[in-house]
Amino acid sequence: MGDQNSVLTQADARHLLRRAGFSATRKELTAAGITGQTRGAAADKLLNYKIKTFKPGGKDQQKQHDSLLRYLLVTKTPVQEKLTLFWHDHFATGITKLLAMNYGAATKLMAAQNKLLRTMARGDMRALVKAIGKDAAMIEFLDTVRNDKSIPNENYARELMELFTLGVFDSAGNPNYEQQDIVQIARAFTGWRYSDNGKSYFDEGAHDFNAEFSGDRGAKRIFTTVGQFGPGGRLFDANGEGAIEIDTVVDIIFEHRDTDGKNTVARRTARRLLEFYVGPDDGTPAGKAARLALIDDVVAESSFDTTFSVQALVRAIFCNDAFYATAQPFGLGVTKSVKWPIDFAIGSMRLLGMKFAGSNKYIPGGSYTGILTHMENMGQILLDPPSVFGWDWETSWLSSSTLLARYNFARDIVAARGGGRFRPDKVMDMSLTDPGDIVDAVLDALDVAQNFSSDDRQVCIDYLTTDGPPDLGDYNYVNEKLHGLFELVMKSPAYQVF
Amino acid sequence: MAITRRQFIRRTGLATAGTLLGPSLFASPFVRRAFADLGDRYLVVIFLDGGNDGQNTVIPVDDGSGTLRADYEAHRFAGGGGIRLTPAQLASTLVGTDPNTGAQLALHPGFIGLKHLYDQGSLAVIQGCGYPEYSLSHDEARTIWQSANPLRNGTLAGTGWVGRHLAATYGGSQIPGVCISDEIGADFRQSTTSVLAINDLENFGFPWDGYGSDEVAKAAAFSSLYASAAGGPVGSTQAFLGTAGAATLTSTNSYPALHGNYVADRPSFNQAYADIDRSVAYDLREVAKIIYGVSSGAPGVTSRFFRLSNGGYDTHSDQGGATGQQYDLHREVGDSLEAFYADLTDMGVADKVLTVVWSEFSRRIEQNGSGTDHGSQGPMFVIGGPTALNGGVYGNHPDIHEDRLENDGNTTYRQSAHPYRSTDFRDVFGTILKHWLNMSQPQILSNILIPDPIAGEYWNVSNFDMGFLP
Repeated sequence: MGDQNSVLTQADARHLLRRAGFSATRKELTAAGITGQTRGAAADKLLNYKIKTFKPGGKDQQKQHDSLLRYLLVTKTPVQEKLTLFWHDHFATGITKLLAMNYGAATKLMAAQNKLLRTMARGDMRALVKAIGKDAAMIEFLDTVRNDKSIPNENYARELMELFTLGVFDSAGNPNYEQQDIVQIARAFTGWRYSDNGKSYFDEGAHDFNAEFSGDRGAKRIFTTVGQFGPGGRLFDANGEGAIEIDTVVDIIFEHRDTDGKNTVARRTARRLLEFYVGPDDGTPAGKAARLALIDDVVAESSFDTTFSVQALVRAIFCNDAFYATAQPFGLGVTKSVKWPIDFAIGSMRLLGMKFAGSNKYIPGGSYTGILTHMENMGQILLDPPSVFGWDWETSWLSSSTLLARYNFARDIVAARGGGRFRPDKVMDMSLTDPGDIVDAVLDALDVAQNFSSDDRQVCIDYLTTDGPPDLGDYNYVNEKLHGLFELVMKSPAYQVF
Repeated sequence: MAITRRQFIRRTGLATAGTLLGPSLFASPFVRRAFADLGDRYLVVIFLDGGNDGQNTVIPVDDGSGTLRADYEAHRFAGGGGIRLTPAQLASTLVGTDPNTGAQLALHPGFIGLKHLYDQGSLAVIQGCGYPEYSLSHDEARTIWQSANPLRNGTLAGTGWVGRHLAATYGGSQIPGVCISDEIGADFRQSTTSVLAINDLENFGFPWDGYGSDEVAKAAAFSSLYASAAGGPVGSTQAFLGTAGAATLTSTNSYPALHGNYVADRPSFNQAYADIDRSVAYDLREVAKIIYGVSSGAPGVTSRFFRLSNGGYDTHSDQGGATGQQYDLHREVGDSLEAFYADLTDMGVADKVLTVVWSEFSRRIEQNGSGTDHGSQGPMFVIGGPTALNGGVYGNHPDIHEDRLENDGNTTYRQSAHPYRSTDFRDVFGTILKHWLNMSQPQILSNILIPDPIAGEYWNVSNFDMGFLP
């Protein structure tokens, strides 16, 4: 059970900042002022951010991508950005297809969608799902623009249910919808089009009206056997035909109940947000059952199944014991969550107070590899997820190839010597002499002490003292061993998780 | 390297992370010995990502004793936006006849490369592959094929069909497989042994900051941290990270040299892939580099299982007919495979390398605008040197007659005896496991491919002797 009145220790506060945003530097920890406050008050403080409406600019894919990453590096509202990232993965739309289908408008469409997700990130999810169905980038990406009354295109209707709301199966393993429901819902989206300026509109002439098609296609009826709507299901022209059907469909979907009688969208969204902010369950039958109980707990706590307020749901997660339980080293019975490449990259840069340089946003003094290439190698190009399924999380982020890309990034950071761009002295006390103290300072600067076991810490101490006692006043020692320790820690297994 | 079955967890909440096939299942030394008999063979798995339109991949040119051509023409129109392939367009890519109707079959004209392999006796075309209660979701269907587990049997969760073979056959310190990718394909997932993901061998070196001369100390510390993580609970994120990092460090010492060796020794073959200039060609070239290394005894390299994928098959619109999107896709895959086998033939290992090509589903016979929507059964291809396999056409063409389609417009999966009986994809995998990888049928059925526990039109009776492998 969550407890919104528990008081945050400094470690709790740091964990909250780390997971709710991209980093938890000592400076951010002080500025947040949430240590000693209750979980509820701290969550409110973080989630009541003043909504920013940033829109990534840039005339081509790289410039737009880099503009977004630069923003993530400097943003003062990381909590809003983290939620925006969640929705970007959830409503995954990729610029590659937009460039292929409508080259001239692609970056404009992506910018508008990104802004839409950002401004609606913590709001009413039902409103967000309605808005995304009318979003120009989505209309292009999932072929709504080609969804015509003559032959309704099923692409958007399928993903609306499978990925955006219900999921294929409910928690008991029963299907949430049938192919027939996809065919019918595709009718509701016929006629939605967009202009290159990013505005969408409804073209009545392309819409499937009952008068013309009820003979072949029947009534606009869905969910006759699923969702606990009764044998008659629900009619999505109940509020009238035309442009309004798209909203009616979404309203019906948000009333869908699973075989346990619970709101299906609420449970699935809570499951995904828990996986996002807390991590996976431990995989055992008991762990699965506990996760389902946790889902029901945060939904009940937030009334998400009636209000669909994302802010309330995330607040409930930030107040729950489960959220704080994972800030421990490996091997203590917790299931850690693998950092996304964007967390690894932006988090590291923020922790070390570094900035990008040059037109391709390389790490200054490193290998001059641009950030887009780094991100591509690590397996996550923002604004261009691999498919509508978004990215595969957890251990799917990790392979020899993507690990090497992370190692390369870490190497580039510590190699950024020219002009002193990587400055250990800015993030730690350089008067330390005890190797254990130095290791602790480095782990603290990289915000990873909580993940390091005492054995792993000892490995770091042994490394620091390979050639004798440390001397942070010595130029060569700092460049070789201290830089080396930062490199080693960023490449360690414990730094890949949070 | 272990993998959680994340897509399922995330999207359906059904399966759980870490429900992995632990080593206990394969702990018996007898079992391990009995399985480890691959000899000097290799297996390449190619995934056509997005749902390749099988109806325009293996096409009836005439009716034979049935109505396949007429049915095809009834659904696929000619002219603007039409994707119908005419007999004249198919004249250069004829293959065998449909086992059921005797209809003359042809490959899509883009598959001229596969046609050449067919003529050499190096291609088996297996029609109508699918499974009961087919899914039309990309994600779910992909998971089903890769796990070879349509009914989501819990004991197989989190692992792939190749992965289970690897787990049964190789130990923790071995690296039997490489995915030419950023990620490990779900068909290769398991938790017992290591599979690498390598995009290109040339850049597979381990990066250390070059200041001073500290690499040995750093590598030692790195190894300690990863060894300690690898000792975590089987199937955990910790253990996964540990084995992945350790295998990466080890193999970065041996794999990058394969690139230089190949380029130096095989310049004309190296160039042949570059002339095709498509990602699938470059990916197959990386496989060729590794096979060249393994077969010539390069130190520290023992991989025999490879995986790559090619995307772009989700042709809801602008699919094209004898030219266009699908033509380009077939052309790049067919030409690349032809170049790959020419390379292997010259190395003297073509008869040792088997390639299987699959897609998560086919597409609906009825056109939708200028494209096609998700469909059910589709063809698979198995390719090997002329003595490696028995080339020809296997499996029946799906029944595409209007009156006999499912309500959703798709062809029916049929397991029981029927003129249009379908081929379960597990029979194709099983034939490969039995006749290429030398696993016994009972072992395959107990550990790798588990029959559906339901009567009726399910996969109850396996046929691992489909005939395309001697």
